[in-house]
Amino acid sequence: MNLWITLETGLREIAAHKFRSFLSMLGIVLGVSSLIATMSLTNGIERGTKAFMQQVGGLELVTVIGKEISAEMIEFANLSPGRTVQDARAILASTSVVTEVSPEINIGALLSSGPISQRMQVVGAWPDYFAVNRHEIAAGRFLTQLDVDRAAHSVVIGDAILKRFWPNLPADDAVGRILTINQAPFKIVGVLKVYEREQDKRMREIVKARQPQMTSRAQNRWDPFRRKNESVVIPLSTMFFEYKSGQLPEDSLDSIRMDNLSFRVGDLDRFRETLSKVRNALNITHRGVDDFDLQTREEWFQGMEASISATRLSGGLIAAISLIVGGIGITNIMLASITERVREIGIRLAVGARGADIFLQILVESVSVAFIGGIIGIAAGFGLIKLLIAVAPSENVPFVSLDSIVISVVFAIIAGVLSGIYPALRASRLDPISALRYE
Amino acid sequence: MALVLLENVVKSYRIGDQEIRALDGINLRIEEGEFIAIIGPSGSGKSTLMHLLGCLDTPSAGRMQLFGRDLTSARADTLAQVRNKEIGFVFQSFNLLPKIDVVRNIELPLLYSGIPAGERRKRAIEVAESVGLGARLNNRPTQLSGGQCQRVAIARALVNRPRIIFGDEPTGNLDSATGEMVLQMFRDLHAEGRTVVLVTHDPDVAAVTKRVIEIRDGKIRREYNP
Ligand SMILES: Nc1ncnc2c1ncn2[C@@H]1O[C@H](COP(=O)(O)OP(=O)(O)OP(=O)(O)O)[C@@H](O)[C@H]1O
Ligand SMILES: [Mg+2]
Repeated sequence: MNLWITLETGLREIAAHKFRSFLSMLGIVLGVSSLIATMSLTNGIERGTKAFMQQVGGLELVTVIGKEISAEMIEFANLSPGRTVQDARAILASTSVVTEVSPEINIGALLSSGPISQRMQVVGAWPDYFAVNRHEIAAGRFLTQLDVDRAAHSVVIGDAILKRFWPNLPADDAVGRILTINQAPFKIVGVLKVYEREQDKRMREIVKARQPQMTSRAQNRWDPFRRKNESVVIPLSTMFFEYKSGQLPEDSLDSIRMDNLSFRVGDLDRFRETLSKVRNALNITHRGVDDFDLQTREEWFQGMEASISATRLSGGLIAAISLIVGGIGITNIMLASITERVREIGIRLAVGARGADIFLQILVESVSVAFIGGIIGIAAGFGLIKLLIAVAPSENVPFVSLDSIVISVVFAIIAGVLSGIYPALRASRLDPISALRYE
Repeated sequence: MALVLLENVVKSYRIGDQEIRALDGINLRIEEGEFIAIIGPSGSGKSTLMHLLGCLDTPSAGRMQLFGRDLTSARADTLAQVRNKEIGFVFQSFNLLPKIDVVRNIELPLLYSGIPAGERRKRAIEVAESVGLGARLNNRPTQLSGGQCQRVAIARALVNRPRIIFGDEPTGNLDSATGEMVLQMFRDLHAEGRTVVLVTHDPDVAAVTKRVIEIRDGKIRREYNP
């Protein structure tokens, strides 16, 4: 029998029993909408996490950290100069894959401009600092090699610093102004881009549109980008000469210990190889003393990815259970409907329908029920996501992807097929005479 | 060649440890163009015989040949195909599908023989008109009288141009005037040269046929030409 007619017959049957059909769809509707909802939520979390990973420097960022020296090596500890600018040069020389290295000295310093003063963390760094930490410039420029060579009194500030000292000044106008750091005047040469979560950005736009002076509610909450926005960066040489020299007579810019040393691996395919080259180079500069380690973000990122897949899996499991329950619902109602239609099936058999025709008819009907349920479920899932966004905004805005729609439809159809097989088999095995006699 | 050939056909049912022989050694030959009545008291096996002849069932023993094919132990799908292409049925209780209209009911056998939609419809309407239902094409069976229902059933039986038409008490649910009219339709079919087999209690129905087969306790008791 022709599939189109079979489909039409099935749809008529569904339409003839609207409420019953709706009840049998309900499980699929719930299953599919929860599938859509969880997939969209994890989509949002995944996108947010990926963006966060990028903004904090990505997997390519590796930090050289200090390490406790083991007890038996303690007497050799003084042999190692620790993390110095020499290390940074050694890393650059050890491999062509690393093109950016950032040695840093951090101090807490009193920043002031006019009447406003505040203690802040100040970083002395190379120009590579900006590339290594994925900074973008909003106005002016980054520090340059020239700044470092001349130990210039140049400073690049983050958006939060600008807001703190010049609340209403556009970034462009801040360039050229003077910021005093522990009494020494620095010229602002650049202002960094503001880093914020999607949600804060939207909030800011809403606030801007309504009441310009109202402060954002989100300000007090934990902000992963706070440190980035509070950047105060000056040349490493300036940092040394202005604030570090003279503390110990033998100190020089080459021998002073860095507070932070990180670099970027240019080619992730050569990650391991690069790390071991860097390790070798540092073993030499540290004179064989095992007082450093290379900290990658692999574990951290893997942890985040693992928690995303765990969320995805548990959501998928819930959806799978509801789809199974939905499928059982369809099976149930199809069985009831077949009992009701034994005579109809007998008539069809009498005029020449084969078992396969009856099988197909019932199967098409259950797949149609599941498919319609799936479509309604997708719509409900969309609604659910809209509602969720409205009621509980989060930085990881959930979004419905084409994938999740396709997957939902496929799963609904599979549920329809599986739940229809048994009733269809039973119907197709009816004997024409007893079916005709059935009252 | 005989249209139908039964040799020593037995149909038995087993209920618990008791065996009921609904048909017990039937020998029957039906030629093309015959008009036959099968009569007998209730429970004698008339319907059982007609179900066998109509390929709705297979014999327990003996040999059954239809249109030159041995169908004694044919598979269900083969029987379905024979029912679809070669046989038309008219039942006492009409057996129409209540949820679809007259044309769709008449079309039903064509659905299972792979005839394209346009052709299906055309043939269904043609047959509906030939049984005088041209004005009721889009009514549902529930909106029709008993006589009209039976005419729909006859149209459905004819739509696939079968080689033999069976009626199991086709006038049993109708009043005498309507029954008379339906009976006239079968006579007309016979007059057109079709093979018609009617199962009936009614001697008046049997009287309009050309050959009467009387069954008792699953056996052919006698045969005569009225
Ligand atoms: N499926 C079955 N299982 C058991 N016995 C059956 C079955 N079908 C028919 N019979 C028995 O076979 C015998 C013949 O039945 P059948 O229906 O052929 O009679 P009939 O001549 O058509 O009677 P009626 O005039 O009342 O329709 C009866 O005794 C009946 O009980
Ligand atoms: Mg009977």
